Amino acid sequence: MTISWLQAAILGIFACLSSMPGMAGSSIGNYTLGRPLVGGLVCGLVLGDIKTGIACGVAMQLVYIALVTPGGTVSADVRAVSYIGIPLAMVAIHSQGLVATSGTAANLAKSMGTLVGTVGTVLFYGTATMNLLWQHYGWKQIDKGNFKSLYFVDWGLPWISHLVFSFLPTLIMCKLGASAVTALKSALPMDGIAMKTLFTVGAMLPCVGIAILLKQIVEKPTDFIPFFVGFTLAASLKLNLVSCAVISLIFALIFYELELVLNKRSEAPVTDGANDDDDEEDI
Amino acid sequence: MQETVNKRISKRTLTKSFHHWFYGHLTCFSQEHMQTFGYLTSMLPIVEELYPNKEDQKEALKTYTAFFNTEPQLGSVVIGITAGLEEARANGKDVDGETINGLRAGLMGPLAGIGDSMVVGTLIPVILGISLGLSTGGSPVGAIFYIIVWNLLAYFGMRFAYFKGYEMGDKAVEFLVGAQGKAIRKAISIIGGTVVGSVAATWVSVTTAFKLRNSSGKVFLNLQDKLDSVYPGLLTAGFILMCWWLMAKKNVSAGKTMILLVIIAFIGVLVGFFNPGLSY
Repeated sequence: MTISWLQAAILGIFACLSSMPGMAGSSIGNYTLGRPLVGGLVCGLVLGDIKTGIACGVAMQLVYIALVTPGGTVSADVRAVSYIGIPLAMVAIHSQGLVATSGTAANLAKSMGTLVGTVGTVLFYGTATMNLLWQHYGWKQIDKGNFKSLYFVDWGLPWISHLVFSFLPTLIMCKLGASAVTALKSALPMDGIAMKTLFTVGAMLPCVGIAILLKQIVEKPTDFIPFFVGFTLAASLKLNLVSCAVISLIFALIFYELELVLNKRSEAPVTDGANDDDDEEDI
Repeated sequence: MQETVNKRISKRTLTKSFHHWFYGHLTCFSQEHMQTFGYLTSMLPIVEELYPNKEDQKEALKTYTAFFNTEPQLGSVVIGITAGLEEARANGKDVDGETINGLRAGLMGPLAGIGDSMVVGTLIPVILGISLGLSTGGSPVGAIFYIIVWNLLAYFGMRFAYFKGYEMGDKAVEFLVGAQGKAIRKAISIIGGTVVGSVAATWVSVTTAFKLRNSSGKVFLNLQDKLDSVYPGLLTAGFILMCWWLMAKKNVSAGKTMILLVIIAFIGVLVGFFNPGLSY
């Protein structure tokens, strides 16, 4: 499998649209086109192998299932993961002759995509820094009373940042990376330590993704309980995801009612206490 | 302020303002002014309609040049609230730029926290989890399902939040941060936690190749089977907990945690604890 200049350019445009401060807006861009699962579909369509594209997307999506960017800090860049990592992983899977839907192919995709995604963080900071220029221009226009140019500043000028930090890096890395990845096959034999490590890491990487999600939802140790109930339902009882979600509804309902009662009760004594205090002061 | 004319923002302008936010809240992002320009573009149609005079427009816009950043989906409610406040200000009510900015600054933090855990931390992973199941074996169905479901929820959810904010003012937020809102968030976090657990058990698999053989080559200890007989998926759960502990308790960054996994994998492969069983 090879990537032509045209294919690489199309991927480059998707990179512009999908990145964190992307040109398609965060709902359609970052949270739709930027998700590796959707990226896998797009890359599959562009490179003409939907099955491998989706398989890579599914694998990568696990690592980035919780791509939360609190306060605009990123640990990985979606445009690099979805539109550089996935195409290169697809090329690698083809050149290694792996079955696209196999676990080994998935682990290769995870290692490769994550590596590219981590390196891609520099693209995020590059874009955000270059946008400072446009914002600076925007402030001047507001001072002059040129309000309409705000649209140009917010929707037009950032395309230049993306041309430099999304389009060109994607174009070049997809085009040149493809031959590098193919050359990797002869450099690193499959049964060597390097490749074995690469595949083992691929299997472990989603643990980081899940852990980031847990970091969001766990505040105290008991918050782990729903997680382990879900884990047990799926691992021991072999229930699928929707079934697990349905079972969790009954617990959610109980907690909802409980929380309401608890809130009411905690509100009541507080007012009593305030009255007591007032009485003492009066005396 | 003796003005008696009751100005109202037209529905068309409100929709325009919402669309500007829906599209442009993060397009011109920088570390210095994250969503400020997105905010300005969504307030501009409203300001232009309410104030015919250029100087008044400039004065009103000045309010929104202050830094703004929140979770953009749920944060739509803030734009709606300020649209309502701006209308009140144009009608000579007791609202000034400071009131508006105080409210904006007070809301963006809590809403970012709720939005990050509810939208990005729960809703998206749940839809993605279901989509992953549909895409098993390389089928595009899951990806298409995600595109449709998420975008419908995002667009109409954000629209709902925006207009609720405009109609109800800061009462719209009471629902989110009040007693009932707290109970709903608790309930949703239970569903979120359970689904994340089942996603982990279904899709993540860390296994060991460690086996002990007796002199005749027969396996008498298969560690993976032993671990699974204690608790299925024990090793996977252990690795997840370790990553969580490093990141949440030891403040190790995600990148460094990944590097640590590379080191563990490398040593594990060397001593034969891990073996992905590769062959051509």
